[in-house]
Amino acid sequence: MKKTGVTITGLVVLIALCVNINSCRKSDARKGPSSLTFNIPAGFPAPAYDFTSNPLTQEGFNLGKKLFYDGRLSKDGNFPCGSCHQQFAAFATFDHDLSHGFNDQFTTRNAPGLYNLAWHKAMHWDGGINHIENQPLAPITAPNEMAEDITNVISKLKADEEYKRMFVAAFGDDEINSQRMLKSLTQFMLMLVSADSKYDRVKKGTATFTAAEQSGYVIFQSKCASCHKEPLFTDLSYRNNGLVISNFLQDFGRMRITNKKEDSLKFKVPSLRNIELTFPYMHDGRFYTIDQVLNHYATGVQNSATLDPLLQNRIALSTTERLNMRAFLKTLTDSSFVKDSRFAE
Amino acid sequence: MKNRLLAPLLIITLTALTVGCSKEFSGTGKPVKPDEYNLALDFKPSVDSLRLKLDSVYTNIWGENYSVSAFKFYISKIDLINTDSNKIYSINAENYFLVDAADSTTWTVKLKSAPFRYNKVAFIVGVDSLRNVSGAQTGDLDPAKGMFWTWNSGYIMAKLEGKSSSSTAANNKFEYHIGGFSGPDNVLRKTVLLFPFGEYSEVLPGSSSVITIKANVNAWFYNPHDLKIEDKPVVTTPGPEAKAVSENYSKMFTVTEISN
Repeated sequence: MKKTGVTITGLVVLIALCVNINSCRKSDARKGPSSLTFNIPAGFPAPAYDFTSNPLTQEGFNLGKKLFYDGRLSKDGNFPCGSCHQQFAAFATFDHDLSHGFNDQFTTRNAPGLYNLAWHKAMHWDGGINHIENQPLAPITAPNEMAEDITNVISKLKADEEYKRMFVAAFGDDEINSQRMLKSLTQFMLMLVSADSKYDRVKKGTATFTAAEQSGYVIFQSKCASCHKEPLFTDLSYRNNGLVISNFLQDFGRMRITNKKEDSLKFKVPSLRNIELTFPYMHDGRFYTIDQVLNHYATGVQNSATLDPLLQNRIALSTTERLNMRAFLKTLTDSSFVKDSRFAE
Repeated sequence: MKNRLLAPLLIITLTALTVGCSKEFSGTGKPVKPDEYNLALDFKPSVDSLRLKLDSVYTNIWGENYSVSAFKFYISKIDLINTDSNKIYSINAENYFLVDAADSTTWTVKLKSAPFRYNKVAFIVGVDSLRNVSGAQTGDLDPAKGMFWTWNSGYIMAKLEGKSSSSTAANNKFEYHIGGFSGPDNVLRKTVLLFPFGEYSEVLPGSSSVITIKANVNAWFYNPHDLKIEDKPVVTTPGPEAKAVSENYSKMFTVTEISN
């Protein structure tokens, strides 16, 4: 008797599960977006981004790319994300210390290159944006950048038939809201992976450094790599590298976010990948050449309470060491990334 | 014997049936459809005994005249409590409600609760830390609602803006945008409200009980911290001042009426 009870109930459970599976399958029968694979380059750590919260799809990526290059995300139509983040400059602003924004205004910091963002735990030079999905809100709404209002952006997108079609393709229905806009922009940004420089090919064993590059690499490893940690060429920490504070910008970096004195003048360590293309350098773009940067580390570092301990003794390089260092840094240029048609406007 | 075995298996069966296809809410949707609620919190934006009218002039405890152009706050993690039996019913923690004085459709927070008698309600004023670090949100948490800081990620938990001749800021404006979800300056406050003496909210299936809650703007300006518009017209970043204001406004609520 007991046995029969268990068996019958077991059957009921099975039937219930079957009914359930079938009812789910019905809704899945409609052709959904096609998934996109995120490849972690050899030797890279696990990404910080949780892909399960925003599964990558070709349609989501396509939508994100269209949004990235669409001026309508800005107030006057002139400032798409891509106006300050140019592919040929590894998605930094080429040859500009500060970038141009709405109504002939300047930004207050140098536009960083956009690549390998899936590994960043926080965005901005001061780490103020705690999640990549919320990053686009900052330039879109900043009065000196894109100067637009989120509600206006969404109304503009809703008025466009092509966007309607693309939101349906990416998300299954034609609801257009800020969350979907941000998630698709994020999909585009996450796919910007730069890991095919000569340095990467040397690591893979398919290329070899010249003697100068090799010597430069050895110096880099002993003098720079603790902050510009391989393979991202940043440890993603915030440090004060001893720059004289600009009287005009009065930028105290991370302290504005944390309200902590000990974070005064600290900025995120930038990646050195594509350094040849992302000049000028530093959070305010004050140095136009790699040599100026090396001069700063040799003789320009200013003492202050929060100066990074690793810079207390400065970093002096001989003339030959400088030449070799420059040769090595140029091996970090990823020319296939900056020409990749998947990311092009 | 048979029944004892069958019962848990049937529960598993039912769970399998109900859970299998359930939709996931990404922390923002309101799972309660308007026709399914059996309990509502009805917030009344007020100034002491008066109903708040935007742009009308009021006076705070310091004798300062002011008018309000924006008054909004988030409510989340709602608990209904019966103090006789200490039974607590927690509403789905993934519900966040923005009450906006400018939009009366947001004043009524519709909930589905377990049928019971309750005489106390508790909620958090604000949005918990997890939701502040989880990326793009929608519904009441949509950044388009104007309650999200774009340069220093995080929700503004409560906002009070207006004009006052006592303000030393430009155009006599005063602005309190109160947020900060971590560390010593966390502004998330739990508010616990006992109902008027002897009154209960009788939550029954098929009917709805309404708990009317006054939200008094004048409570922002005192207890435990003195906040004079003249001294401090602008608080718009997380920090000790924001925390102090949150300690004031967490006391702005009073349950004024229960209707069953």
